[in-house]
Amino acid sequence: MRQHLPALLFLLPLFAAISMPLVCLKHRGWSRPIAVTVLSIMSVLSIINLISIIQDGEVRYAFSGWGPLLGIEWVADVLASVILVALSLLGLMTLIFAGSTAPKNLGGRIVHFYTLILLLVAALTGIVFAGDLFNLFVFLEVAALSSYALVGVAGGPALFAAFRYLVLGTLGASLYLLGVSYFYAASGTLNMVDMAERLPHLLTSKAVVGGLLFMFIGLGIKMALVPFHAWLPDAYTHAPESVSPILASLVTKVALLGWVRIIFWVLGAKVIVYDIPVLLLVGILGTLAAVIGAVLALKQQNIKMMFAYGGISHIGIILIGVSQGNQTGFVGGIFYLLNDAFMQATLFFWAGIAMCHYGVQTIADMKRVKQAPWVTGALVIAALGMVGLPPTGGFFGKWYIMLGALEANNYLAVGAVLLSTLLTLAYFVRLFEGIFFPEPTQSDMRHHDIPFSLKLSLGVTSTAIMILGLLSDPIVRLLLAQALPPGL
Amino acid sequence: MIRPHDSIIVQSLGRFLIPVIQIFGLYVLFFGQYGPGGGFVGGVILGTSMILSVLTFGHDATRSQIAKKVLHGDGVGMLIYAGVGGLCMIGGGEFLNYAHLEIPGLEVAARRSLGIVLTQIGVAIDVAVTAVSIVFSLSAEEIIEDVTNG
Repeated sequence: MRQHLPALLFLLPLFAAISMPLVCLKHRGWSRPIAVTVLSIMSVLSIINLISIIQDGEVRYAFSGWGPLLGIEWVADVLASVILVALSLLGLMTLIFAGSTAPKNLGGRIVHFYTLILLLVAALTGIVFAGDLFNLFVFLEVAALSSYALVGVAGGPALFAAFRYLVLGTLGASLYLLGVSYFYAASGTLNMVDMAERLPHLLTSKAVVGGLLFMFIGLGIKMALVPFHAWLPDAYTHAPESVSPILASLVTKVALLGWVRIIFWVLGAKVIVYDIPVLLLVGILGTLAAVIGAVLALKQQNIKMMFAYGGISHIGIILIGVSQGNQTGFVGGIFYLLNDAFMQATLFFWAGIAMCHYGVQTIADMKRVKQAPWVTGALVIAALGMVGLPPTGGFFGKWYIMLGALEANNYLAVGAVLLSTLLTLAYFVRLFEGIFFPEPTQSDMRHHDIPFSLKLSLGVTSTAIMILGLLSDPIVRLLLAQALPPGL
Repeated sequence: MIRPHDSIIVQSLGRFLIPVIQIFGLYVLFFGQYGPGGGFVGGVILGTSMILSVLTFGHDATRSQIAKKVLHGDGVGMLIYAGVGGLCMIGGGEFLNYAHLEIPGLEVAARRSLGIVLTQIGVAIDVAVTAVSIVFSLSAEEIIEDVTNG
């Protein structure tokens, strides 16, 4: 049973998604209970999978019984399993949240909405587990296609954002595929382990260098790294309230995880291409992203836009962490990735509740949420995490990233993390200023009772930020002991 | 909205060609285990025959009813695929490892052959349905809307 878990974790949401239009043909209302049940089972299974992998080591699953070089291989190591637990829990929370915030005008397409969310979760699971470069591309594409559809599902201005996302995302996927084909041409294999053995002799080949560049640009678009981030803020702002949390918390982070797999597991941590260390380049781009994202977030008026740019700056911080070339920095980056997934989910859940129940869109509307102390409390916790103050996971993530940067004598990276922290503090101060010290205007209070499902999803994710902080020591020790890439 | 084609030549030829195309599609589908062919190509050909019937006889004709009915078939095809894969897992092998398709009285080679045929049938249904639904969604949006809204 244990060795089948990684495959089951992927097949469960996939086949639930595909059979859903048939099952819910007559009973539209069944779609949500089915989706919630499937993702609950998946969350439980992912936790069982994590425990079994921590205890008994990694699982390599060969579909159809074909060996890794011929067939499709699934690699379930500690890193993948940890991320998968976060992924399935956040997927479940999004579904719970989507109950009363799902777009109202969907009609019969509500079935498609839940189908797409399950398909997105299945594809992200595929990216996390994929053991070869081509299947990484396949699942990136499935995830991207379901995200485009989800962004545009409600119509209106979201369609424009979805189209822009589609054009840029397709460009990214094509570049990634081009890179993979160059790698395949040079090395004759697609399996990550096999390629890692062959690549060291090929690093002077122009095909490999070009392929690496294409893959990096392609995945850079997917993870919204700073020069390629233009699609993200619009897509996340105009997407329906129930969709932006899962997009913001998971899609870019999982693309980043794919890139981490390629740098550390395929290329090797210390790889130098034509005298240029790859990690140095990644670190410079991360530094830029961390600062530029935060600066752009500071000048936004729309709160969802602000959170989206905050996410862009955090992608940079994670890249700074993993690119330091030492264990502390790598573990800090991965731990921060986990935290960032939960923080982004909390922020977009919060923005969804504020939008649906208090009509808050810009900072000027923020005073309306003052009447709901619990909602404000969740924002305070998320803000503590985003800024990086001690009891939250965000603090420990940044702490290890900075320790790693100091260990590598990379003071520029330390400065960038500090600067980005200060800027994050600045834009959250603007938000809280809007809540607690509003400019005197006439107040048009619209108070609705917030449904339990929304409180549950917001409560769980904001508690998770605190729990990740309290459990940071065991998690970091686990990652240090079992999730490090070879040769770091 | 697709209206029937008004030429008698097209209609007569369509009446003759559609069954031929369908038989050829099935042949390609089942030949796939031994040579070039298989579920994807066979499914495309089967889908083409349904598209041809819709284009020549219009989408309201009795001949085109099958094309409208199969629109929900993608779930069926995928369930066949998942079912075969799941049976292999229950039999103790990996997903889609046909050698573990526990059917008494069949040796391993025959099990593999049967497993391939069954999964390819699932794939063919999916591909055919996708081809038909692409044509329908390009031509007449209300058909898709009607079907999905029950």
